[in-house]
Amino acid sequence: MVSYASRLRRDISRWVAAGLIDAATGDAILRDVDAHERGALSFGTILAVMAALLVGAAILVFVAANWEAIPRLARVGTLFLIIAGGHVAGAVLKLRGDAIIAEAVWLVAAAAFGGAIALIGQMYHLSGDETEAVLVWCAGTALAAALLRSGPLTVAATGLATFWLFARGVGFWRPGDFPHLFVAVAAGLWAISHWTESVVARHFLVMSTVLYATLLGAEYEVTPVAITLGALCVLLFGLAVVFPGELERVVHLDGLLPVHCLLGFLVAMVMLQIEIGDESGSGFAVAAALAFAGIGGAIVLAGRESRSLRWLAYLGFAVELCLVYSVMIGSMLGTAGFFLAAGLLLGLTALVIIRIERNIGRPAGMSEEAAR
Amino acid sequence: MMTGKRLVLAACLVALAQIGFLSWMIAGRAAILRNGLEVLLRVEPIDPRDLLRGDYVRLGYEIRQVPVRLIENAPAGEFVTEEDVIYVRLGRDADGYWRARSASLAAPPTRAPGPGEVDIRGRVAQGWTLRPDSSVNVDYGIDRYYVPEGAGKAIEADMRERPFGILAAIGADGTAQIKALLDGERILFSEPLY
Repeated sequence: MVSYASRLRRDISRWVAAGLIDAATGDAILRDVDAHERGALSFGTILAVMAALLVGAAILVFVAANWEAIPRLARVGTLFLIIAGGHVAGAVLKLRGDAIIAEAVWLVAAAAFGGAIALIGQMYHLSGDETEAVLVWCAGTALAAALLRSGPLTVAATGLATFWLFARGVGFWRPGDFPHLFVAVAAGLWAISHWTESVVARHFLVMSTVLYATLLGAEYEVTPVAITLGALCVLLFGLAVVFPGELERVVHLDGLLPVHCLLGFLVAMVMLQIEIGDESGSGFAVAAALAFAGIGGAIVLAGRESRSLRWLAYLGFAVELCLVYSVMIGSMLGTAGFFLAAGLLLGLTALVIIRIERNIGRPAGMSEEAAR
Repeated sequence: MMTGKRLVLAACLVALAQIGFLSWMIAGRAAILRNGLEVLLRVEPIDPRDLLRGDYVRLGYEIRQVPVRLIENAPAGEFVTEEDVIYVRLGRDADGYWRARSASLAAPPTRAPGPGEVDIRGRVAQGWTLRPDSSVNVDYGIDRYYVPEGAGKAIEADMRERPFGILAAIGADGTAQIKALLDGERILFSEPLY
Protein backbone atom coordinates (compact mmCIF):
# COMPACT_ATOMS: atom_id res chain seq x y z
CA MET A 1 0.00 0.00 0.00
CA VAL A 2 1.25 3.45 -0.84
CA SER A 3 1.53 5.57 2.25
CA TYR A 4 -0.21 8.90 2.61
CA ALA A 5 3.12 10.71 2.65
CA SER A 6 4.35 9.27 -0.63
CA ARG A 7 1.02 9.91 -2.32
CA LEU A 8 1.06 13.46 -1.05
CA ARG A 9 4.65 13.88 -2.25
CA ARG A 10 3.53 12.99 -5.79
CA ASP A 11 0.57 15.33 -5.61
CA ILE A 12 2.63 18.21 -4.27
CA SER A 13 5.24 17.92 -7.00
CA ARG A 14 2.39 18.06 -9.51
CA TRP A 15 0.83 21.09 -7.80
CA VAL A 16 4.18 22.85 -7.70
CA ALA A 17 4.74 22.09 -11.38
CA ALA A 18 1.26 23.40 -12.18
CA GLY A 19 1.95 26.56 -10.21
CA LEU A 20 -0.86 25.96 -7.72
CA ILE A 21 1.53 26.29 -4.77
CA ASP A 22 5.13 27.41 -4.60
CA ALA A 23 8.02 25.09 -3.81
CA ALA A 24 8.52 26.52 -0.30
CA THR A 25 4.91 25.80 0.66
CA GLY A 26 5.22 22.30 -0.77
CA ASP A 27 8.33 21.63 1.30
CA ALA A 28 6.67 22.99 4.42
CA ILE A 29 3.64 20.72 3.93
CA LEU A 30 5.84 17.68 3.41
CA ARG A 31 7.92 18.44 6.50
CA ASP A 32 4.75 18.77 8.54
CA VAL A 33 3.39 15.46 7.24
CA ASP A 34 6.68 13.67 7.92
CA ALA A 35 6.69 15.02 11.45
CA HIS A 36 3.11 14.02 12.18
CA GLU A 37 2.64 10.81 10.30
CA ARG A 38 2.59 8.09 12.91
CA GLY A 39 1.73 4.45 13.06
CA ALA A 40 2.23 3.97 9.34
CA LEU A 41 3.32 0.41 8.71
CA SER A 42 6.72 0.59 7.12
CA PHE A 43 8.19 -2.31 5.21
CA GLY A 44 10.70 -2.86 8.00
CA THR A 45 7.98 -3.02 10.66
CA ILE A 46 6.05 -5.61 8.71
CA LEU A 47 9.15 -7.74 8.19
CA ALA A 48 10.09 -7.45 11.87
CA VAL A 49 6.61 -8.53 13.01
CA MET A 50 6.58 -11.38 10.50
CA ALA A 51 10.00 -12.51 11.71
CA ALA A 52 8.74 -12.40 15.31
CA LEU A 53 5.67 -14.43 14.40
CA LEU A 54 7.82 -17.01 12.61
CA VAL A 55 10.19 -17.38 15.55
CA GLY A 56 7.19 -17.58 17.87
CA ALA A 57 5.61 -20.28 15.70
CA ALA A 58 8.93 -22.15 15.68
CA ILE A 59 8.90 -22.18 19.48
CA LEU A 60 5.33 -23.47 19.58
CA VAL A 61 5.95 -26.21 17.00
CA PHE A 62 9.19 -27.17 18.74
CA VAL A 63 7.19 -27.72 21.91
CA ALA A 64 4.57 -29.66 20.00
CA ALA A 65 7.17 -32.05 18.60
CA ASN A 66 7.70 -33.42 22.13
CA TRP A 67 11.34 -34.06 21.26
CA GLU A 68 12.73 -36.36 23.91
CA ALA A 69 16.39 -35.78 23.01
CA ILE A 70 16.39 -32.68 25.21
CA PRO A 71 15.26 -33.33 28.78
CA ARG A 72 11.97 -31.62 29.52
CA LEU A 73 13.44 -29.57 32.32
CA ALA A 74 15.98 -28.18 29.84
CA ARG A 75 13.14 -27.33 27.48
CA VAL A 76 11.23 -25.53 30.21
CA GLY A 77 14.43 -23.74 31.22
CA THR A 78 15.05 -22.61 27.65
CA LEU A 79 11.55 -21.17 27.42
CA PHE A 80 12.00 -19.42 30.79
CA LEU A 81 15.24 -17.93 29.45
CA ILE A 82 13.48 -16.71 26.30
CA ILE A 83 10.70 -15.17 28.40
CA ALA A 84 13.10 -13.38 30.74
CA GLY A 85 15.68 -12.52 28.10
CA GLY A 86 13.10 -11.42 25.57
CA HIS A 87 11.32 -9.01 27.87
CA VAL A 88 14.50 -7.45 29.24
CA ALA A 89 16.31 -7.33 25.89
CA GLY A 90 13.24 -5.72 24.35
CA ALA A 91 13.25 -3.04 27.05
CA VAL A 92 16.95 -2.31 26.48
CA LEU A 93 16.44 -2.17 22.70
CA LYS A 94 13.52 0.20 23.16
CA LEU A 95 15.64 2.51 25.29
CA ARG A 96 18.34 2.48 22.65
CA GLY A 97 15.78 3.67 20.11
CA ASP A 98 15.15 0.40 18.23
CA ALA A 99 11.44 0.50 18.99
CA ILE A 100 10.36 -1.85 16.21
CA ILE A 101 12.90 -4.56 16.98
CA ALA A 102 12.02 -4.21 20.66
CA GLU A 103 8.35 -4.88 19.94
CA ALA A 104 9.29 -7.89 17.78
CA VAL A 105 11.42 -9.34 20.59
CA TRP A 106 8.56 -8.83 23.06
CA LEU A 107 6.25 -10.71 20.70
CA VAL A 108 8.70 -13.62 20.69
CA ALA A 109 8.73 -13.57 24.49
CA ALA A 110 4.90 -13.63 24.51
CA ALA A 111 4.96 -16.65 22.18
CA ALA A 112 7.43 -18.34 24.53
CA PHE A 113 5.00 -17.80 27.42
CA GLY A 114 2.26 -19.53 25.41
CA GLY A 115 4.69 -22.28 24.42
CA ALA A 116 5.63 -22.83 28.06
CA ILE A 117 1.97 -23.24 29.04
CA ALA A 118 1.57 -25.83 26.27
CA LEU A 119 4.78 -27.58 27.32
CA ILE A 120 3.66 -27.86 30.93
CA GLY A 121 0.34 -29.21 29.71
CA GLN A 122 2.29 -31.80 27.76
CA MET A 123 4.70 -32.62 30.60
CA TYR A 124 1.87 -33.41 32.96
CA HIS A 125 -0.53 -34.81 30.35
CA LEU A 126 -3.12 -32.17 31.10
CA SER A 127 -6.19 -32.55 28.98
CA GLY A 128 -8.24 -29.97 30.78
CA ASP A 129 -9.66 -26.98 29.07
CA GLU A 130 -7.47 -25.64 26.23
CA THR A 131 -9.52 -22.48 26.15
CA GLU A 132 -8.43 -21.80 29.73
CA ALA A 133 -4.81 -22.11 28.62
CA VAL A 134 -5.44 -19.59 25.85
CA LEU A 135 -7.04 -17.23 28.35
CA VAL A 136 -4.05 -17.52 30.69
CA TRP A 137 -1.77 -16.82 27.72
CA CYS A 138 -3.92 -13.78 26.93
CA ALA A 139 -3.70 -12.56 30.53
CA GLY A 140 0.09 -12.90 30.61
CA THR A 141 0.41 -11.05 27.31
CA ALA A 142 -1.98 -8.32 28.46
CA LEU A 143 0.06 -7.86 31.63
CA ALA A 144 3.21 -7.48 29.55
CA ALA A 145 1.43 -5.04 27.24
CA ALA A 146 0.30 -2.89 30.16
CA LEU A 147 3.59 -2.86 32.04
CA LEU A 148 5.75 -2.33 28.96
CA ARG A 149 3.22 -0.03 27.33
CA SER A 150 3.42 -1.97 24.10
CA GLY A 151 0.90 -1.57 21.27
CA PRO A 152 1.79 -4.79 19.41
CA LEU A 153 1.49 -6.82 22.62
CA THR A 154 -1.94 -5.28 23.19
CA VAL A 155 -2.94 -6.40 19.71
CA ALA A 156 -1.56 -9.89 20.43
CA ALA A 157 -3.53 -10.11 23.69
CA THR A 158 -6.66 -8.95 21.86
CA GLY A 159 -6.10 -11.59 19.19
CA LEU A 160 -5.76 -14.27 21.88
CA ALA A 161 -8.91 -13.04 23.62
CA THR A 162 -10.80 -13.19 20.34
CA PHE A 163 -9.52 -16.68 19.63
CA TRP A 164 -10.54 -17.72 23.14
CA LEU A 165 -14.01 -16.24 22.59
CA PHE A 166 -14.37 -18.05 19.29
CA ALA A 167 -13.03 -21.40 20.52
CA ARG A 168 -15.20 -21.26 23.62
CA GLY A 169 -18.25 -19.88 21.85
CA VAL A 170 -18.40 -22.53 19.14
CA GLY A 171 -17.13 -25.37 21.35
CA PHE A 172 -13.98 -25.70 19.23
CA TRP A 173 -12.35 -28.21 21.57
CA ARG A 174 -15.26 -29.26 23.70
CA PRO A 175 -18.62 -27.88 24.70
CA GLY A 176 -18.48 -25.64 27.76
CA ASP A 177 -20.07 -22.70 29.43
CA PHE A 178 -20.71 -19.68 27.25
CA PRO A 179 -17.78 -17.21 27.52
CA HIS A 180 -19.63 -14.35 29.22
CA LEU A 181 -16.31 -13.43 30.78
CA PHE A 182 -15.40 -11.92 27.42
CA VAL A 183 -17.17 -8.70 28.36
CA ALA A 184 -14.79 -8.21 31.30
CA VAL A 185 -11.77 -9.30 29.26
CA ALA A 186 -12.69 -6.87 26.49
CA ALA A 187 -13.21 -4.02 28.97
CA GLY A 188 -9.78 -4.66 30.50
CA LEU A 189 -8.08 -4.81 27.12
CA TRP A 190 -9.93 -1.68 26.06
CA ALA A 191 -8.46 0.17 29.02
CA ILE A 192 -5.00 -1.21 28.28
CA SER A 193 -5.32 -0.19 24.64
CA HIS A 194 -5.86 3.43 25.71
CA TRP A 195 -2.80 3.29 27.93
CA THR A 196 -0.70 1.72 25.16
CA GLU A 197 -2.27 3.96 22.48
CA SER A 198 -3.10 1.00 20.28
CA VAL A 199 -5.86 1.91 17.85
CA VAL A 200 -5.48 -1.42 16.06
CA ALA A 201 -6.30 -3.31 19.26
CA ARG A 202 -9.43 -1.19 19.73
CA HIS A 203 -10.60 -1.91 16.18
CA PHE A 204 -10.12 -5.62 16.87
CA LEU A 205 -11.96 -5.31 20.17
CA VAL A 206 -14.97 -3.65 18.63
CA MET A 207 -15.14 -6.32 15.96
CA SER A 208 -14.79 -9.15 18.45
CA THR A 209 -17.57 -7.59 20.51
CA VAL A 210 -19.78 -7.96 17.45
CA LEU A 211 -18.57 -11.57 17.22
CA TYR A 212 -19.50 -12.00 20.88
CA ALA A 213 -23.01 -10.74 20.16
CA THR A 214 -23.31 -13.13 17.22
CA LEU A 215 -22.25 -16.10 19.35
CA LEU A 216 -24.54 -14.93 22.13
CA GLY A 217 -27.45 -14.91 19.72
CA ALA A 218 -26.57 -18.35 18.43
CA GLU A 219 -26.25 -19.70 21.99
CA TYR A 220 -29.45 -18.25 23.41
CA GLU A 221 -31.98 -16.49 21.25
CA VAL A 222 -31.18 -14.68 18.04
CA THR A 223 -33.99 -12.16 17.77
CA PRO A 224 -33.58 -10.15 21.00
CA VAL A 225 -29.78 -10.14 20.71
CA ALA A 226 -29.87 -9.04 17.06
CA ILE A 227 -32.41 -6.31 17.77
CA THR A 228 -30.38 -5.00 20.72
CA LEU A 229 -27.16 -5.07 18.70
CA GLY A 230 -28.82 -3.33 15.75
CA ALA A 231 -30.43 -0.67 17.94
CA LEU A 232 -27.18 0.00 19.83
CA CYS A 233 -25.32 0.38 16.55
CA VAL A 234 -27.89 2.80 15.18
CA LEU A 235 -27.74 4.83 18.40
CA LEU A 236 -23.94 4.96 18.41
CA PHE A 237 -23.91 5.77 14.72
CA GLY A 238 -26.28 8.67 15.31
CA LEU A 239 -24.13 9.95 18.18
CA ALA A 240 -21.00 9.59 16.05
CA VAL A 241 -22.58 11.63 13.27
CA VAL A 242 -23.97 14.36 15.52
CA PHE A 243 -21.02 14.63 17.92
CA PRO A 244 -18.09 13.30 15.90
CA GLY A 245 -15.40 15.18 17.81
CA GLU A 246 -16.72 14.44 21.30
CA LEU A 247 -17.19 10.75 20.65
CA GLU A 248 -13.80 10.39 18.98
CA ARG A 249 -12.20 11.87 22.09
CA VAL A 250 -13.82 9.10 24.11
CA VAL A 251 -13.28 6.07 21.89
CA HIS A 252 -10.20 7.06 19.84
CA LEU A 253 -10.99 4.93 16.82
CA ASP A 254 -9.47 7.08 14.06
CA GLY A 255 -12.97 8.38 13.36
CA LEU A 256 -14.03 4.91 12.21
CA LEU A 257 -16.76 4.40 14.81
CA PRO A 258 -19.52 4.82 12.18
CA VAL A 259 -17.91 2.06 10.11
CA HIS A 260 -17.95 -0.30 13.08
CA CYS A 261 -21.55 0.66 13.80
CA LEU A 262 -22.54 -0.10 10.23
CA LEU A 263 -20.76 -3.46 10.41
CA GLY A 264 -22.50 -4.33 13.68
CA PHE A 265 -25.84 -3.22 12.28
CA LEU A 266 -25.40 -5.32 9.14
CA VAL A 267 -24.38 -8.36 11.17
CA ALA A 268 -27.49 -7.88 13.32
CA MET A 269 -29.72 -7.64 10.25
CA VAL A 270 -28.17 -10.72 8.65
CA MET A 271 -28.64 -12.61 11.95
CA LEU A 272 -32.28 -11.60 11.99
CA GLN A 273 -32.84 -12.60 8.40
CA ILE A 274 -31.16 -15.97 8.79
CA GLU A 275 -33.20 -16.58 11.93
CA ILE A 276 -36.45 -15.63 10.25
CA GLY A 277 -35.36 -17.44 7.08
CA ASP A 278 -38.06 -18.40 4.66
CA GLU A 279 -40.76 -18.53 7.27
CA SER A 280 -43.90 -17.15 5.77
CA GLY A 281 -44.83 -13.70 6.95
CA SER A 282 -43.42 -10.26 6.53
CA GLY A 283 -40.64 -10.49 9.14
CA PHE A 284 -37.94 -11.22 6.59
CA ALA A 285 -39.05 -8.43 4.29
CA VAL A 286 -39.08 -5.95 7.18
CA ALA A 287 -35.57 -6.96 8.25
CA ALA A 288 -34.30 -6.74 4.67
CA ALA A 289 -35.93 -3.33 4.22
CA LEU A 290 -34.35 -2.18 7.48
CA ALA A 291 -30.96 -3.36 6.28
CA PHE A 292 -31.28 -1.50 2.98
CA ALA A 293 -32.54 1.58 4.78
CA GLY A 294 -29.58 1.37 7.17
CA ILE A 295 -27.10 1.09 4.32
CA GLY A 296 -28.69 4.02 2.49
CA GLY A 297 -28.89 6.09 5.64
CA ALA A 298 -25.27 5.38 6.51
CA ILE A 299 -24.09 6.51 3.08
CA VAL A 300 -26.18 9.69 3.19
CA LEU A 301 -25.17 10.60 6.76
CA ALA A 302 -21.51 9.62 6.87
CA GLY A 303 -20.54 8.39 3.40
CA ARG A 304 -19.01 11.64 2.26
CA GLU A 305 -16.41 11.69 5.02
CA SER A 306 -15.44 8.06 5.00
CA ARG A 307 -14.34 5.97 2.07
CA SER A 308 -14.16 2.81 4.19
CA LEU A 309 -17.76 3.34 5.29
CA ARG A 310 -18.85 3.57 1.67
CA TRP A 311 -17.05 0.36 0.74
CA LEU A 312 -18.50 -1.49 3.69
CA ALA A 313 -21.93 -0.20 2.67
CA TYR A 314 -21.44 -1.50 -0.87
CA LEU A 315 -20.32 -4.86 0.45
CA GLY A 316 -23.31 -4.97 2.78
CA PHE A 317 -25.56 -4.02 -0.11
CA ALA A 318 -24.24 -6.90 -2.22
CA VAL A 319 -24.57 -9.38 0.66
CA GLU A 320 -28.10 -8.20 1.34
CA LEU A 321 -29.05 -8.61 -2.33
CA CYS A 322 -27.73 -12.18 -2.31
CA LEU A 323 -29.56 -12.94 0.92
CA VAL A 324 -32.84 -11.56 -0.32
CA TYR A 325 -32.39 -13.37 -3.59
CA SER A 326 -31.60 -16.70 -2.00
CA VAL A 327 -34.63 -16.57 0.27
CA MET A 328 -37.26 -14.95 -1.89
CA ILE A 329 -36.52 -15.84 -5.48
CA GLY A 330 -33.91 -18.57 -5.25
CA SER A 331 -36.43 -21.32 -4.90
CA MET A 332 -38.26 -20.41 -8.07
CA LEU A 333 -35.49 -20.16 -10.63
CA GLY A 334 -33.07 -22.64 -12.15
CA THR A 335 -29.33 -22.28 -12.59
CA ALA A 336 -29.58 -20.16 -15.71
CA GLY A 337 -31.97 -17.92 -13.92
CA PHE A 338 -29.53 -17.65 -11.04
CA PHE A 339 -26.71 -16.52 -13.33
CA LEU A 340 -28.98 -14.02 -15.03
CA ALA A 341 -30.20 -12.69 -11.72
CA ALA A 342 -26.66 -12.57 -10.31
CA GLY A 343 -25.48 -10.66 -13.38
CA LEU A 344 -28.34 -8.20 -13.09
CA LEU A 345 -27.81 -7.75 -9.35
CA LEU A 346 -24.09 -7.16 -9.85
CA GLY A 347 -24.85 -4.65 -12.59
CA LEU A 348 -27.33 -2.91 -10.34
CA THR A 349 -24.77 -2.80 -7.52
CA ALA A 350 -22.14 -1.37 -9.87
CA LEU A 351 -24.60 1.29 -11.05
CA VAL A 352 -25.42 2.31 -7.49
CA ILE A 353 -21.75 2.46 -6.51
CA ILE A 354 -20.79 4.50 -9.56
CA ARG A 355 -23.58 7.03 -8.95
CA ILE A 356 -22.75 7.42 -5.28
CA GLU A 357 -19.02 7.73 -5.85
CA ARG A 358 -19.64 10.36 -8.53
CA ASN A 359 -21.94 12.38 -6.30
CA ILE A 360 -19.57 12.19 -3.36
CA GLY A 361 -16.56 13.17 -5.45
CA ARG A 362 -18.33 16.42 -6.25
CA PRO A 363 -18.16 19.27 -3.76
CA ALA A 364 -21.49 19.90 -2.07
CA GLY A 365 -23.78 22.27 -3.93
CA MET A 366 -22.13 21.79 -7.32
CA SER A 367 -24.43 20.56 -10.07
CA GLU A 368 -23.67 17.44 -12.06
CA GLU A 369 -22.87 19.39 -15.22
CA ALA A 370 -20.46 21.65 -13.39
CA ALA A 371 -18.71 18.64 -11.95
CA ARG A 372 -18.03 17.33 -15.40
CA MET B 1 7.43 7.83 27.59
CA MET B 2 8.78 5.64 30.32
CA THR B 3 12.19 6.39 31.71
CA GLY B 4 14.98 3.90 31.20
CA LYS B 5 15.15 2.36 34.63
CA ARG B 6 11.40 1.99 34.93
CA LEU B 7 11.03 0.22 31.60
CA VAL B 8 13.74 -2.33 32.41
CA LEU B 9 12.16 -2.80 35.83
CA ALA B 10 8.76 -3.33 34.21
CA ALA B 11 10.30 -5.92 31.86
CA CYS B 12 11.82 -7.77 34.81
CA LEU B 13 8.46 -7.67 36.57
CA VAL B 14 6.67 -9.14 33.54
CA ALA B 15 9.25 -11.91 33.22
CA LEU B 16 9.05 -12.62 36.95
CA ALA B 17 5.25 -12.74 36.93
CA GLN B 18 5.07 -15.03 33.89
CA ILE B 19 7.85 -17.37 35.02
CA GLY B 20 6.47 -17.34 38.56
CA PHE B 21 3.06 -18.39 37.32
CA LEU B 22 4.52 -21.18 35.17
CA SER B 23 6.68 -22.42 38.06
CA TRP B 24 3.61 -22.43 40.30
CA MET B 25 1.83 -24.61 37.72
CA ILE B 26 4.76 -27.03 37.64
CA ALA B 27 5.11 -27.09 41.43
CA GLY B 28 1.41 -27.87 41.87
CA ARG B 29 1.54 -30.79 39.47
CA ALA B 30 4.80 -32.12 40.91
CA ALA B 31 3.26 -31.97 44.40
CA ILE B 32 0.36 -34.18 43.30
CA LEU B 33 2.82 -36.63 41.74
CA ARG B 34 4.92 -36.66 44.93
CA ASN B 35 2.21 -36.77 47.58
CA GLY B 36 -0.92 -37.98 45.83
CA LEU B 37 -2.51 -41.33 46.52
CA GLU B 38 -1.79 -43.83 43.75
CA VAL B 39 -4.67 -45.50 41.94
CA LEU B 40 -4.60 -47.89 38.98
CA LEU B 41 -7.22 -47.20 36.33
CA ARG B 42 -8.25 -49.29 33.36
CA VAL B 43 -8.25 -47.62 29.95
CA GLU B 44 -9.21 -48.24 26.37
CA PRO B 45 -7.99 -46.06 23.50
CA ILE B 46 -9.73 -43.52 21.31
CA ASP B 47 -7.54 -41.72 18.71
CA PRO B 48 -4.32 -39.70 18.77
CA ARG B 49 -2.75 -36.40 17.58
CA ASP B 50 -3.10 -32.80 18.57
CA LEU B 51 -1.65 -30.10 16.37
CA LEU B 52 -0.22 -27.89 19.06
CA ARG B 53 0.78 -30.47 21.62
CA GLY B 54 2.30 -33.30 19.62
CA ASP B 55 1.56 -36.98 19.67
CA TYR B 56 -0.69 -38.31 22.34
CA VAL B 57 -2.89 -41.26 23.02
CA ARG B 58 -6.41 -40.48 24.05
CA LEU B 59 -7.45 -42.54 26.99
CA GLY B 60 -10.97 -43.73 27.57
CA TYR B 61 -11.18 -44.58 31.26
CA GLU B 62 -13.41 -47.28 32.56
CA ILE B 63 -14.44 -44.89 35.35
CA ARG B 64 -15.51 -42.36 32.72
CA GLN B 65 -19.01 -43.81 32.84
CA VAL B 66 -20.53 -43.18 36.24
CA PRO B 67 -23.97 -44.79 36.75
CA VAL B 68 -26.55 -42.28 37.89
CA ARG B 69 -27.66 -44.57 40.74
CA LEU B 70 -24.20 -44.05 42.31
CA ILE B 71 -24.68 -40.28 42.53
CA GLU B 72 -25.75 -39.63 46.12
CA ASN B 73 -27.15 -36.16 45.56
CA ALA B 74 -28.59 -36.45 42.04
CA PRO B 75 -31.07 -33.55 41.88
CA ALA B 76 -34.62 -34.84 42.13
CA GLY B 77 -36.94 -33.57 39.45
CA GLU B 78 -34.13 -32.71 37.02
CA PHE B 79 -33.95 -34.72 33.81
CA VAL B 80 -30.46 -33.79 32.62
CA THR B 81 -27.22 -32.67 34.27
CA GLU B 82 -26.01 -29.11 34.45
CA GLU B 83 -22.32 -28.54 33.82
CA ASP B 84 -20.79 -29.16 37.24
CA VAL B 85 -17.94 -30.55 39.28
CA ILE B 86 -18.38 -34.14 40.35
CA TYR B 87 -16.47 -36.14 42.96
CA VAL B 88 -16.28 -39.85 42.29
CA ARG B 89 -15.30 -42.11 45.16
CA LEU B 90 -12.97 -44.85 43.93
CA GLY B 91 -12.30 -48.12 45.67
CA ARG B 92 -9.72 -50.78 44.90
CA ASP B 93 -11.04 -54.05 43.47
CA ALA B 94 -9.49 -57.51 43.76
CA ASP B 95 -7.88 -57.26 40.28
CA GLY B 96 -5.91 -54.19 41.40
CA TYR B 97 -7.91 -51.66 39.37
CA TRP B 98 -9.86 -48.87 41.07
CA ARG B 99 -13.51 -48.40 40.23
CA ALA B 100 -16.33 -46.01 41.13
CA ARG B 101 -18.14 -46.78 44.40
CA SER B 102 -20.26 -43.67 44.71
CA ALA B 103 -20.33 -40.09 43.47
CA SER B 104 -21.43 -36.66 44.52
CA LEU B 105 -22.16 -33.52 42.51
CA ALA B 106 -20.65 -30.12 43.39
CA ALA B 107 -19.06 -31.18 46.72
CA PRO B 108 -17.23 -34.30 47.95
CA PRO B 109 -19.42 -37.04 49.49
CA THR B 110 -20.33 -36.30 53.10
CA ARG B 111 -18.83 -39.52 54.47
CA ALA B 112 -15.02 -39.37 54.56
CA PRO B 113 -13.29 -41.93 52.33
CA GLY B 114 -12.44 -45.17 54.15
CA PRO B 115 -9.20 -47.13 53.81
CA GLY B 116 -8.62 -48.19 50.20
CA GLU B 117 -10.85 -45.37 48.97
CA VAL B 118 -10.20 -41.97 47.43
CA ASP B 119 -12.25 -39.17 45.89
CA ILE B 120 -11.29 -38.09 42.36
CA ARG B 121 -12.58 -34.80 41.01
CA GLY B 122 -13.97 -34.48 37.49
CA ARG B 123 -16.40 -32.44 35.46
CA VAL B 124 -19.70 -33.56 34.12
CA ALA B 125 -20.94 -31.75 31.04
CA GLN B 126 -24.40 -30.36 30.58
CA GLY B 127 -27.11 -32.56 29.17
CA TRP B 128 -26.47 -36.10 30.42
CA THR B 129 -29.70 -37.80 31.23
CA LEU B 130 -30.34 -38.46 34.94
CA ARG B 131 -32.51 -41.54 34.57
CA PRO B 132 -31.54 -44.06 37.29
CA ASP B 133 -30.60 -46.74 34.75
CA SER B 134 -28.31 -44.47 32.70
CA SER B 135 -24.84 -43.13 33.38
CA VAL B 136 -23.12 -39.76 33.05
CA ASN B 137 -19.80 -39.14 31.33
CA VAL B 138 -17.12 -37.64 33.56
CA ASP B 139 -14.01 -35.78 32.36
CA TYR B 140 -11.15 -36.07 34.84
CA GLY B 141 -8.75 -33.93 32.79
CA ILE B 142 -6.36 -36.85 32.33
CA ASP B 143 -7.58 -38.34 29.08
CA ARG B 144 -4.42 -37.64 27.10
CA TYR B 145 -1.09 -39.33 27.32
CA TYR B 146 1.66 -37.55 25.37
CA VAL B 147 4.19 -39.95 23.91
CA PRO B 148 7.41 -39.24 22.01
CA GLU B 149 6.64 -38.26 18.42
CA GLY B 150 5.68 -41.27 16.31
CA ALA B 151 5.01 -43.70 19.16
CA GLY B 152 1.30 -42.92 19.54
CA LYS B 153 -0.04 -45.18 16.80
CA ALA B 154 1.86 -48.28 17.96
CA ILE B 155 0.66 -47.93 21.54
CA GLU B 156 -2.85 -47.31 20.39
CA ALA B 157 -2.80 -50.44 18.21
CA ASP B 158 -1.59 -52.51 21.19
CA MET B 159 -4.29 -51.02 23.35
CA ARG B 160 -6.97 -52.41 21.09
CA GLU B 161 -5.79 -55.93 21.86
CA ARG B 162 -5.31 -55.96 25.62
CA PRO B 163 -6.18 -53.83 28.63
CA PHE B 164 -3.85 -50.96 29.44
CA GLY B 165 -3.60 -49.18 32.72
CA ILE B 166 -2.89 -45.70 33.97
CA LEU B 167 -1.28 -45.21 37.32
CA ALA B 168 -2.61 -41.88 38.55
CA ALA B 169 -1.88 -39.81 41.63
CA ILE B 170 -4.84 -38.12 43.31
CA GLY B 171 -4.14 -34.88 45.14
CA ALA B 172 -5.79 -33.81 48.37
CA ASP B 173 -8.44 -31.78 46.48
CA GLY B 174 -9.22 -34.69 44.15
CA THR B 175 -7.15 -33.48 41.20
CA ALA B 176 -5.81 -36.43 39.23
CA GLN B 177 -2.39 -36.55 37.66
CA ILE B 178 -1.03 -39.28 35.37
CA LYS B 179 1.99 -41.05 36.83
CA ALA B 180 2.62 -43.95 34.49
CA LEU B 181 1.26 -45.76 31.46
CA LEU B 182 1.11 -49.54 31.86
CA ASP B 183 0.71 -52.30 29.31
CA GLY B 184 -0.84 -54.95 31.53
CA GLU B 185 1.70 -55.35 34.32
CA ARG B 186 4.57 -53.74 32.40
CA ILE B 187 5.32 -50.02 32.87
CA LEU B 188 5.72 -48.39 29.42
CA PHE B 189 6.39 -44.81 30.49
CA SER B 190 6.65 -43.41 33.92
CA GLU B 191 6.68 -39.75 34.75
CA PRO B 192 9.50 -37.90 36.48
CA LEU B 193 8.47 -35.19 38.91
CA TYR B 194 9.73 -32.46 36.60
